[in-house]
Amino acid sequence: MKRIGLPSLSFALVMLYLFLPVAATVLYSLATEWNSTVLPEGLTLKWFAELYGDPRFLQAFGRSFVLSFLTTVVAVVIIVPAVFSIVVYAPRMEKLVQLFVMLTYAVPGVIMAVGLIRTYSGNGIPMIVITAGAYLVGLLPYLYQGTRNSLLALHARSLMEAAELLGASRWQAFVRIIVPNIMSGIFVSALLSFSILFGEFVLINILVGGRYETLQLYLYNKLSASGHVASAITVTYFVLMAIITSLIVRFTRRSFARKEVS
Amino acid sequence: MKRFASMLLVTTIPFFAMIALFLLVPLLSMIEGSFQAEGGGGFTISHYQEIFSNPYYLQAFENSVLISFLSSLIGIIAAVFAAYAITRFPQSLQQRVLVITNLTSNFAGIPLAFAFIVLLGNSGLFVLLAKQLGIDFGQSFTLYSWSGLTLVYVYFQLPLAVMLLYPLYHVIQKQWMEAAELLGASPWHFWLRIGFPVLFPGIVGTFSILFANAMGAYASAYALTGSNYNLVPIRIGALVSGDIFARPELGSALAVLLGLTLAAALVVNEWLTRKIRRDLS
Amino acid sequence: MSYVQIEHMSKTFHGQHVLKQLDLAIEKGELVTLLGPSGCGKSTLLRILSGLTAPDTGKIYIDGKDVTDVSPKNREIGMVFQSYALFPNLTVSQNIAFGLEMNKVPKADIRLRVQEMIELVGLAGKEQNYPRELSGGQQQRVALARSLVTRPKVLLLDEPLSALDAQIRKNLQKQLRTIQRELNMTTVLVTHDQEEAMAVSDRIYIMNGGRIVQHGSPHEIYTQPHSEFVARFIGNYNVLSAEQLNQIAPDLSIREVAERFAIRPETFREQPVTAEDIRLTGKIAHVSMLGNVTRYELNIGDVSVLVDTLHMSFESEQTGTTKTLYLCPKDVIPLYDTIA
Repeated sequence: MKRIGLPSLSFALVMLYLFLPVAATVLYSLATEWNSTVLPEGLTLKWFAELYGDPRFLQAFGRSFVLSFLTTVVAVVIIVPAVFSIVVYAPRMEKLVQLFVMLTYAVPGVIMAVGLIRTYSGNGIPMIVITAGAYLVGLLPYLYQGTRNSLLALHARSLMEAAELLGASRWQAFVRIIVPNIMSGIFVSALLSFSILFGEFVLINILVGGRYETLQLYLYNKLSASGHVASAITVTYFVLMAIITSLIVRFTRRSFARKEVS
Repeated sequence: MKRFASMLLVTTIPFFAMIALFLLVPLLSMIEGSFQAEGGGGFTISHYQEIFSNPYYLQAFENSVLISFLSSLIGIIAAVFAAYAITRFPQSLQQRVLVITNLTSNFAGIPLAFAFIVLLGNSGLFVLLAKQLGIDFGQSFTLYSWSGLTLVYVYFQLPLAVMLLYPLYHVIQKQWMEAAELLGASPWHFWLRIGFPVLFPGIVGTFSILFANAMGAYASAYALTGSNYNLVPIRIGALVSGDIFARPELGSALAVLLGLTLAAALVVNEWLTRKIRRDLS
Repeated sequence: MSYVQIEHMSKTFHGQHVLKQLDLAIEKGELVTLLGPSGCGKSTLLRILSGLTAPDTGKIYIDGKDVTDVSPKNREIGMVFQSYALFPNLTVSQNIAFGLEMNKVPKADIRLRVQEMIELVGLAGKEQNYPRELSGGQQQRVALARSLVTRPKVLLLDEPLSALDAQIRKNLQKQLRTIQRELNMTTVLVTHDQEEAMAVSDRIYIMNGGRIVQHGSPHEIYTQPHSEFVARFIGNYNVLSAEQLNQIAPDLSIREVAERFAIRPETFREQPVTAEDIRLTGKIAHVSMLGNVTRYELNIGDVSVLVDTLHMSFESEQTGTTKTLYLCPKDVIPLYDTIA
């Protein structure tokens, strides 16, 4: 009765297709020599050792981390309170915000880069600041959706009314009641934001280029130099993304579990 | 009333300032720039004329549309079946498979291009394997050809397509299938008459997201051959960031046309959905 | 052999016995209701009848044929689901025509039969509408028409009216019964609503814990419950122990020996009707108005009973006053088992 249908076959092929490049890269990063044989001739950690010993890598990694982290923090600080007041106190403005969200999501990075260069290049502001600004807007869809879902699940509007009837000011109620309750939801969106920025290449390459070498730019520059080192970078990046994904899964589950109890 | 106003103002002013500075002003400036003569010589449509009369740029659009359409089509067909297969797994396994699928979506841009170099580059795994088996792809296939680039595009379309299509299947109620079965329909008839038409708007919507995603993709192609592929995003990048050949106004015009292409794709999507699902209009 | 016959049906889900060695028989043209609380196995039984769920053991016969291993689409069964399961992308007439198309009925016949059905269920003028443009009651009638148009041997209805407002439900019950009689359609209805079961059925099977605990005509079930479970499920029966009964009515001579007895609240009367009627006196502990009926909670000694009287007087009696009532010994029903 049970036969291998088109769906199962197609699923297996998709998974194979998605995993082959990952597996090959991992293998390549661990291979001693792999130029003429089908399987690597030996296994070694020397490419990773070489990579982690390279100050340029550490700097690039640090730059990516700082840029992604700071931008995510600023984006959370600007976007979350704004989405809160709009959802709770000015729901009519939501249509407008959704329009911006759509626009940000639909406009490719390349198009943004053109506009940003035309608007800001050559007037003294460091392009890295402009890039960070563009990142803020780029995170809007993810943070808007995350914040909005958390607020709706919490019934933030009635909570604020209850807190205010009990004598709290709006800011007090926001900081003491809303923020702690949406924290885990926001944290998940922030992790997602961080991982998106960490992998960003288009804007940083067109707007800043070699002047601020992030991990992605470093990897790009290493492509032609050493395949093995480039694989080690890719694997490192992929492991970091896997860690962030597992954190996201864990925190999403936790905030779900709490909702089911209440 | 006053406290109300102050909180709304304090929180939304930086928010709208951010949107104005980094989204609206640049986009408007780009549109305005596309009508400016080089070096600021007043209004002109010469950039658009140049694009429409220069085969090189027309070719870029043709290439971009073709590779985007093809990779989206392959991606969506594979994902329609794969996502359905996932819905038939046990619940806990479904979540795990989705997380893993989502994880591979981080494999995009430069890392992805590199992984394909490892697999299919000049001394890539499969190329070596083929050589040992005595097969010579020769000039018919290399990673740096259009078919090679299409493979890379399909890769980053797949996880996105699966993630977007998977939730659509929850719309299909199990009882519809049972009702159809009792009325004498085979599974094939069910999918043809009920399942697929119900899914169709979602599939078309997903397709247009994939298409837009591929039209704007820059990093993978750039990483494989720098500026050699003649694709719209690559041309735009070269026109605005090239130090010697920078022609930001022409780049702006290309960017505006790229934006219009995406908008047109959305319109076609709407139209097609309405045509197939008359019950939704 | 009956038109539909189920023998020794058992089903286990995840180690849970949902149906236990169940037997059931339905005559041609009958409307039989499976009535019971949620989880009693009635929906599973219906799904097994349809073929959508396979039984562990047991046999099903329809029209003299063993259909236990026949696939759902070859069983000639129509089914209306609780959610209606209308196809959202097809119009009313396309939904109704679906089964005929699948069975390769000629186009002209389809048009005729669909139109006939649409008129039968009173949906003329809605042929080109999509399900989401219809009210719940209308959707329900489309579902009914869709399952009847293929002229099935048996029609199965899985809580078909439970999602509707009380008023619409009442109307549809009547309509359903009329159509069923007109077509002489053998029908099995699953419901947890005893009023609905009473209103439409020829016979009722009451299920609990995967077994049939009693079956009979609505009148039999209502007036002669065999067990405490049925008495409580079917109405607001007062269930009293022999001791309590003796306390409230010491003069009552009971023929049967039983541990428990059931008395319907509306059998208490304000005037004696027969010579055998016995007199009871109690204090009103609580009064509630249920529209045309006034319900008293009456304390007779330390036993509390519910009494329903038609609401006729302009002033109802107050809490704390004493009330005298009469009870006919025939209305005291002995119960033979005590299922919790």
